[in-house]
Amino acid sequence: MTWFEPEGASWTYVDRKLIPARLITFAVPALLMLAATVVPAVIFGGAVWIAPAVVAVGVAWTTWVIVRQVGAHAWAERDDDLLVKRGRMFRRVTVVPYGRMQFVEVEAGPVARALGLARVQLHTASPGTDASISGVPTQEAARLRDRLTARGEATLAGL
Amino acid sequence: MVNTAPREWTRMHPVSPFLGAWSVFGAIGAYWFFNNAPEWAGGGGDGWRPAIITLVLIGLVIAVFVVAGAYLSWRMTTYRITDDSVELRKGILFRQSKQARLDRLQAVDVVQPLLARVFGFAAVRIEVAGGEGSTVALEYLRLGDAEALRNEILALAAGIKQARQGTAIPGTMPGTGTMLGSGPSVGAGLAGAGPAGAGFSGGAEASEHGSEHGSDHGAVLRDFIPGADQGVPAIAAAAERDLLVVPPGRLIGSIVLSGPFLWLAAIPLGLLVAVLVLTSEVEHMLFAIIGSSFAGLIPVLFAGAGFVWSRLNTGFGFVAGISADGVRLRHGLLETRRQTVPPGRVQAVQMHQPLLWRRRGWWRLSVNVAGYQESEANVSTLLPVGTQADALAALWLVLPDLGDPDPAGTIARAMTGTGAEGGFTASPRSSRWFDPFQWKHRGVRATDTALLIRQGRWVRELVVVPHERTQSLGLSQGPLQRAAEVATVVVHSTPGPVSPVACHLSRDDAFALLEEQAARAATSRKRQTPEQWLATVVPAVDEVLAGDDVTVAPDGERPAQRGDAPGSGGLTDNQVPDPTQHTPGGER
Repeated sequence: MTWFEPEGASWTYVDRKLIPARLITFAVPALLMLAATVVPAVIFGGAVWIAPAVVAVGVAWTTWVIVRQVGAHAWAERDDDLLVKRGRMFRRVTVVPYGRMQFVEVEAGPVARALGLARVQLHTASPGTDASISGVPTQEAARLRDRLTARGEATLAGL
Repeated sequence: MVNTAPREWTRMHPVSPFLGAWSVFGAIGAYWFFNNAPEWAGGGGDGWRPAIITLVLIGLVIAVFVVAGAYLSWRMTTYRITDDSVELRKGILFRQSKQARLDRLQAVDVVQPLLARVFGFAAVRIEVAGGEGSTVALEYLRLGDAEALRNEILALAAGIKQARQGTAIPGTMPGTGTMLGSGPSVGAGLAGAGPAGAGFSGGAEASEHGSEHGSDHGAVLRDFIPGADQGVPAIAAAAERDLLVVPPGRLIGSIVLSGPFLWLAAIPLGLLVAVLVLTSEVEHMLFAIIGSSFAGLIPVLFAGAGFVWSRLNTGFGFVAGISADGVRLRHGLLETRRQTVPPGRVQAVQMHQPLLWRRRGWWRLSVNVAGYQESEANVSTLLPVGTQADALAALWLVLPDLGDPDPAGTIARAMTGTGAEGGFTASPRSSRWFDPFQWKHRGVRATDTALLIRQGRWVRELVVVPHERTQSLGLSQGPLQRAAEVATVVVHSTPGPVSPVACHLSRDDAFALLEEQAARAATSRKRQTPEQWLATVVPAVDEVLAGDDVTVAPDGERPAQRGDAPGSGGLTDNQVPDPTQHTPGGER
C-alpha cells in the first residue's frame, strides 16, 4: 500500500476528456511563451535558442503532468462521507462528511462545456476544505450534486 | 424600571450617531488643531490663512453632511427580536434586512468602545456563522438594554433547543433554586433568572408585561451621566461564576516576555550602548545609517507597538467565567467586551507557550468560534496568559468532557511531552529531514471526544479539536515526504487562529488516523448534536455553580463595575475546577 486505499471505497475516476480540456486551456499561454522565445531566437540565432528549448521542455513536462494528474483524480462516495483524491507527485485526499456540507456548487467554463464536462465543488464551514472534482460529465455532475445534497440534508448537523 | 428586548421594530438609541461617528469628529478636531497649531509644531504659516478659512468652511459642510447622513441612517435603522430570530433593517438608499436565526447562534458579545463606555452605552453583536457580513450588530443601546437583549437572546436560543428536545432537563431547576436563594440582594429582576432554559417561560411573560413601558428613549440627558440608572433587565443574566482572572501584573509580564516587545526594547537599548561605547566618528556613521533607514524602521515600530497595544488592550482585566448560557469572557482596557459563547460552540482550542514563558509556566489559549470575523486577538482569546492550572481550567470551560479517564494528566503530559510519551503517536525518525529540531515534539493522540495535536520544541503548541466539530479532513504527501514515507493530516476547522495540522506522521499512521478520525467524527456527530448542549453541559455547570460562595452576577444593576474591578472577588486557587473530577455530562 503506497497510497491511501480506504476500505469500502470504490473510486470513480474523472472523465479522460478532462485531459484535452485542460490542455486547451494550457495551450494559450504555452503557445504565447513559445512564440515570444522563438522569434528572438530566429532573429539572433546561436545561444538564444536555449530559451525556446527550455520553454519546450517546460511545455512537454506540464503536458505530461496534466495527463498523469487526470489519471489520478477520482472520488468515492461512502456511507458517511465523500472522498476526493488528486495529484500524483503531490498527492492529496480530502474526506468531507455529508453532514458537514454547506452547499454544493457545479460550474463549467466554455471549454469544459464544449466537451460536456463540469466541476463539482463542495463547501463546508471551513475555508480549508479543498474538495472539488473537475471533469465530471455534465449529466453525472447534476446527479452527483443532487445525491450529495440529499445525503447532506439527511445527515445535516449543526456547526 | 425593567428593561426588555423589543418585540416591535425599534430604533437604536438616539445618541448612536454621535458614538459611531466620533472618529469623524476626531478627525475634524485633529484637522483644526493641525491648522491652528504654531509653526514649530508643524502647523501652517501666515501665508495659509485664506486657504485655512476655505478649508474650514469645506470641513463644516462635510460635517453637516456627515451629521445629516448619520441622523438619516439612525432613522432608518430598526431592530426587533422574535421568538426565533433577531432582525435588523438598515440603509438609506440601499435597504438591507438581516436576520440572525437563534438556533444558529454562535456567540453574543456586548461591546463598549471607549466613548460608549464613558456614557454608559454598548453595542450588541450577534454571531451566526453565515460567512462574511453575517454578524448582526446593534449599535448602540443603553447598557441596560443591551444586557437585557443579550440575556433574552440567550434564553430564547436555549429555549428553542429545549422545546425541540421536548423534555425539560432534570437537574436544572434545583441548581437554579439554590443559586437564587444565595443571592437575595439581586432583587426582583432575577425572577426569571437561572440557567437559560429555566428563564425562558418567565422571560416571555416579563417581556409582554414590559412592552407597555416600551424603551424609554425620552430621557436622553440622564443617560449622559455615567453610572446613571440603567434599569434592571426583565430576564437577568444566568448565574455566573468567575473561574479565571488574569492579574494586570502577569499580563504586563507576559507582554514584556514576548518577541515583539523585546525587539522594540532592543532598538533604543542598542542605541544607548552604541552611544556609550563607540567613538564619535563611528556614532555619526551609525546615526547616518539609522537616519537613512528610518522610513523602513517606522512600519516595524508600528507593527511592534500595535502588537503590544492590542495584547494590553484586549487582555486587560480578563475574566473568564461559566454560566448556563455558556462561557463568559470579559476584558478590555479602553474598549471593553463581554463575550458569551454557548457551550459546544468552540470549534478548536490552541494552547501556546513561547520560549520565554516556559520558565514561568505560562500558556496562552486561543479558540476558533464560527462567526467571529474580527481580528483574532479581540475575540478569539480564551486566556491571554495563565499558569498551567489556569490553562487546564480554561480548556475545561470549553471542553468539559475530554473523553479520557485522566484528562488533567493527559493534557499536562501533552503540553510538555516528547515522542510517544502520554500515549501520543509520534512522528517517525525519518521526518527529521523536514523538522530537524522539533520532529521529536510532533505527535497526535485521539481521546474518546477530541483529537490532540502536539508540536513545537521552543514554542510549544497543543491543539485540541473535538471530534464532532471536525469539518472535513485532508491528507497530503509531497515527493520528498513520499521518499521519507511520511504524510501530513489536516483537520479543517472554521476560520480562526487555530489550524490543526499533524505534520509528517509516518505513512501508515497517517492513513490510519484519517480513517479513524473520519469514523470518530461521524460517531460523535450522531451522538451529540449541538441542539442537546443544555443536557450535556448544564449539569456540569450546576456542579460548579453549586459550589461554595456562588456569585450571582447582578448583570442588570451595575455591570460596568464588574468589568472595572476584575481583582475584586478574584480567583483563588481553590476556585479552579479540578479537571480531574470529570463531569457527568459526557457519560450521558
